[in-house]
Amino acid sequence: MINVLTENLDDFAAGLWVTTRLVAGSFVVALVLGTLVAALRVADTRTLRRLGTVYVEIFRNVPLLVLLFIAFPGVLRGGVEISPWTAGIIALGVYTSAYVAEVLRSGVAAVSAGQLEAGLSLGLTRLAVLRRIVLPQAFRTVIGPLGSITIAMVKNSAIVGASIVALPDILKEARIVNSNTFQTTEAFFWAAVCYLLITVTVTVVFRGLETRYAIRR
Amino acid sequence: MSYLLDPDNWEWVFTGNNARFLLEAFATNVQIALIAMVLALALGLVLALMAISTFTPVRLAGKGWVDVFRNIPLILLILYLALSLPESLRGFWVDNAPGFLPEALRSQFVLAGIGGLVLYNSAVLAEVFRAGILSLDSGQREAAAALGLSYRQQMRLVVLPQGLRRMVPATVSQLITLNKDTTLVSIIAIQEVVRSGRVLTQTAGNPFAGGGVDAPILQVMIFIGMLFVIVNFALSRLSRRLEVREGRRTAVRRPPVAEPAAA
Repeated sequence: MINVLTENLDDFAAGLWVTTRLVAGSFVVALVLGTLVAALRVADTRTLRRLGTVYVEIFRNVPLLVLLFIAFPGVLRGGVEISPWTAGIIALGVYTSAYVAEVLRSGVAAVSAGQLEAGLSLGLTRLAVLRRIVLPQAFRTVIGPLGSITIAMVKNSAIVGASIVALPDILKEARIVNSNTFQTTEAFFWAAVCYLLITVTVTVVFRGLETRYAIRR
Repeated sequence: MSYLLDPDNWEWVFTGNNARFLLEAFATNVQIALIAMVLALALGLVLALMAISTFTPVRLAGKGWVDVFRNIPLILLILYLALSLPESLRGFWVDNAPGFLPEALRSQFVLAGIGGLVLYNSAVLAEVFRAGILSLDSGQREAAAALGLSYRQQMRLVVLPQGLRRMVPATVSQLITLNKDTTLVSIIAIQEVVRSGRVLTQTAGNPFAGGGVDAPILQVMIFIGMLFVIVNFALSRLSRRLEVREGRRTAVRRPPVAEPAAA
């Protein structure tokens, strides 16, 4: 059992590194886009709110695999030179951003209206109130759900590696180890352990953030 | 952008039997989702009851199962099952699959595909069930016990009817996730809609099979994506309506069971 890991440690380590970078990149994309879309969804213009809703409904309901085929072979066919990394990170990030936006919106709703009113009465613009007063508090109430979304994203990153050949992530490396050694169960078991390594780290980090920054409501 | 909006490319999606080919394959996805959902619900209920059992070995087995299958990437599970599915089982399914199933669901890796979807979703749904049951006020069960009902009667007559109703919205939202996840079985050569889309765009680039033009894979994939958005959006609306109706029917302000974070 253990020898499949020790003899192919390079492969698993390489896969772990690829998955980690993929997840880190997508996390940034998801957080930035998710925050923007959440801001749209709580805007005071109806058109902007609609726009946010349409974004969330589209990207929450479309399979990630389809997004990946749009982002890589699809965009390439359209004549845009996109690298596999950019395509993978954008697809996973955009997909996850819809969930981030939903969670953040519920966080914004949990911040009392008095905060907004107080900010406005101080003469801040609505955008400034959102950026300086409401969103920082909203983030602090949704640290837990953001952690769950990040863990789901780690698991979804396996779909990216499975559809874009040029991204040798953990799952891809496990398939390579499997075809080299014919030890299917062992290869996939250690791949699952690698994923667990990342998800446990994410859990610990978010739990730390939660104890430090969370606001209980 | 001009490529994306070029009407010729969109027309291609709807020429000949292309769109029908994709729609029929999409029906396979929906069927896979429904079959897997029914099985996962049954298994999930058993697992949830195991996880709240007072008998320690049973409880640990239920919780262990849930923790294992919830934390493995689904696609890893499906691939593993496909690679380790014995020859005999594959042949058995090809020979004995019920005839009413579409051809795509009678191919050799279907057991692995549906098996993976069921294992994963049973674990997720077990958590939803468990939360639904535990969200019920403990007085309900105590009252049932005081009336002299046995454990099974308490569950069947008092706890489950209330707890299960409360988890309907979360279950529907999991069905949406499951519907999206059916595309993953394309990786193990089951002819569902994403695989059909790729087949379509590959043969069309071939001058012998589909004419010499490069197939617009971008438009085909956007078309497939829209099919999912339409069906899943309808499902999410249904879920919201059920939630509202439930709130009105019981006139009790209780939060429904939280949706699983299925990003």
